[in-house]
Amino acid sequence: MTESFAGTYYDGADGAAHAVTLRRVGVSHYALEGEGIRRGGSIAGLRITPRLARVARTIEFPDGARVLVAHDAAIDAWLPRQGRLEAIVDRMERHAQAVAVAIVVCAVSLGVGVFWGVPWLSDRIADAVPPAVERTLGEEVLDNLDHFGLKASTLAADRRDALATRFKKLAHDAGGDDYRVLFRDAPSVGPNAFAVPGGTVVVTDQLVRALGDDREFDAVVAHEIGHQRHRHALRQTLRGSFVAIVAAFFTGDVSSAGAVVVAVPTFLLHSHYSRGFEEEADRYAFDLIARENESPHWFAAAMNALAAKRPERRGHVSYLSSHPSTSDRIASAEAAGQEFAAAHPELCPNGVCPGEEEKDDTCDDCDDEDDESPPTSTENLSCDKPADDDDD
Amino acid sequence: MEDIIAAAPPLPPPLPPSWAAGMPGQVGPVRTEHRFEFSGDAKEYFRIWVVNLALSVVTLGIFSAWAKVRSERYFYGNTRLAGEPFEYLAKPLPILKGRLIALVLFGSYVLAGQFSWKLQLGAAGVLALVAPWLLVRGAAFRARYSAWRGINFRFVPDYAEAYVRFLLLLIPTMLSLGLMYPYVKGKQKAFFVEHHRYGGAWFKFRATPSQFYPPYVLAWSVVVACLLAVSFLGGVIAIALIGRNGEPPPEWVALVYVVPIYGTYFVVWAFLAAALSNLVYNHVDLGPHTFRSTLKGHRLLGIYAGNTVAILASAGFLIPWAKIRLARYRAESLAVLAAGDLAAFRAESRADVDATAAEMDGLFDIDIGL
Repeated sequence: MTESFAGTYYDGADGAAHAVTLRRVGVSHYALEGEGIRRGGSIAGLRITPRLARVARTIEFPDGARVLVAHDAAIDAWLPRQGRLEAIVDRMERHAQAVAVAIVVCAVSLGVGVFWGVPWLSDRIADAVPPAVERTLGEEVLDNLDHFGLKASTLAADRRDALATRFKKLAHDAGGDDYRVLFRDAPSVGPNAFAVPGGTVVVTDQLVRALGDDREFDAVVAHEIGHQRHRHALRQTLRGSFVAIVAAFFTGDVSSAGAVVVAVPTFLLHSHYSRGFEEEADRYAFDLIARENESPHWFAAAMNALAAKRPERRGHVSYLSSHPSTSDRIASAEAAGQEFAAAHPELCPNGVCPGEEEKDDTCDDCDDEDDESPPTSTENLSCDKPADDDDD
Repeated sequence: MEDIIAAAPPLPPPLPPSWAAGMPGQVGPVRTEHRFEFSGDAKEYFRIWVVNLALSVVTLGIFSAWAKVRSERYFYGNTRLAGEPFEYLAKPLPILKGRLIALVLFGSYVLAGQFSWKLQLGAAGVLALVAPWLLVRGAAFRARYSAWRGINFRFVPDYAEAYVRFLLLLIPTMLSLGLMYPYVKGKQKAFFVEHHRYGGAWFKFRATPSQFYPPYVLAWSVVVACLLAVSFLGGVIAIALIGRNGEPPPEWVALVYVVPIYGTYFVVWAFLAAALSNLVYNHVDLGPHTFRSTLKGHRLLGIYAGNTVAILASAGFLIPWAKIRLARYRAESLAVLAAGDLAAFRAESRADVDATAAEMDGLFDIDIGL
């Protein structure tokens, strides 16, 4: 039988396109004929590009000449088999079920990758990072912070020492003997505390001043110690890097208004990971201060005190935020506080733990700063006398 | 991205834009207009895209090099000029090698940035040093494996010149607070165009760097005007809200600033991309032939905006549709004004270039703001 295929021939020397017929001669030879063109030879020297949708297939001759032909199953049967992998891929692309499977694979791996894959992989890498490296990185971060807005603390030295002692005790009980706390004046940052990689917790003077009771300080630094114990700073960093790398590959591909297409999902993911870490650190803090025989209620008290300084804004969209909403955190802390009271009747007669006595007091001049989600406790620094039970 | 647009002169599919208004009917030889045609189909390409993406995922990215080749072949093969399709001839393995190197480089850059501005500055310095080399290699790789009518394109490397235009010229740009940016941009585009050849014919670039000023000055003015207007209006709104009860303004006030500012950048960016592409293409000669690019800013804006919304809303599954739509518009807007026979091009001898740089170039195009 003779098989022949119509095609366009380019000799590679100039751009002229010649209409030709490629014909099979015997088993292993071809003949190519067109107006003023005639060549033939063994098919062993020919290379053909794999099939791809309606794209013309290119048959290349050893001297660089080419023939473009429309796909024809007979060509694959005749010419030497090449690109077997791509032949399989091509079949999948034309196969409805294979496409359906591919859609499922992509959708599932997107979900799994984002919610489990990236966290899992970054955590494995975090495990492999030696503490010394983490400390070095922490020094760099601290250096950055000191460059951008953090100043030497203006707190009295004995006040700092007293708080540092409380921190050391908590850190020791948490198994972090090498953790340290640093105080910094940061008017532009306001009341805040952060965990720097490698065991350093930075507390702003503004935070210390915003808190009334030292047990509130304990609760806040216990949260930061939770970040340290779980190496959240390093893990978040690695997750962020993975997301950035994946995003870069996609922008390279999408080539349309790259910035927004990538920025929106990156931002949402970052917030998602961060919220998870915050919740974990909160739970850690509840456990740690409960072990110190202090009620997790103090965490709620600290949050309330901070909320008074920096009221949660209205229209807060929790899904867009890097932290769980303050009211949710306070509610969790109060719930943990009640569990604590139930578990320690000796410390908390009638379910009221030390420091909570004034819980039911109403204060008249408290202004309700958040009417959508009222704090579960009315305790509030702005109208509370400084706690008088300064025992340890 | 815009750089990539300009980086690839009259190459096939990932084809750049441009605008023709600059050159009304030329006087001279009789010219025949040959429009680029694009016959890609979103449904058809979706199948290719999704199968190849799934295989890339399952193979932890290794297959992505094959995927890239198939995708490029699809776009090239569906782009025709004077009835003849373009061909993409690169092999996957060199691309895979390039992707691995790029991953390591870019990964360390990102990681460095998370921890310290000093480390990142160092990494950025290293990148700046290799960037011109990467750009040249990338252009050379892409050109080498692009063909039309059986004749390959070619980019003839000139590393010294690349370092002057992509590194040294950055210094006066910074010293002039960006005022020299359009000039430098013009020099860079000229570099890419003039080092390309198709077979035995060189591409020529007729635009002078000063011609890059009007689009940039216009874009800058619009951005500045919008920033001023937004700050003023936003401030008024914020103050009005604070006035009430002395409460801090609600969180959405931030949107009053952010949304219009992003919107402005988006709009200006689309118009600028169209204007620059038109400027470049309308000043390119290939032998006796010229190009005409008629991209419209508002059409490009519509496509970019639609693509962005569609991609976000579909969790990425409309990326193939977005790419096809953009490629079609770009092809439709570009034509060759042929003076004589397009088949008369002669070939020239070949040179090999490895794929590493092409891939790194593709990966870094969002980060190197050259």
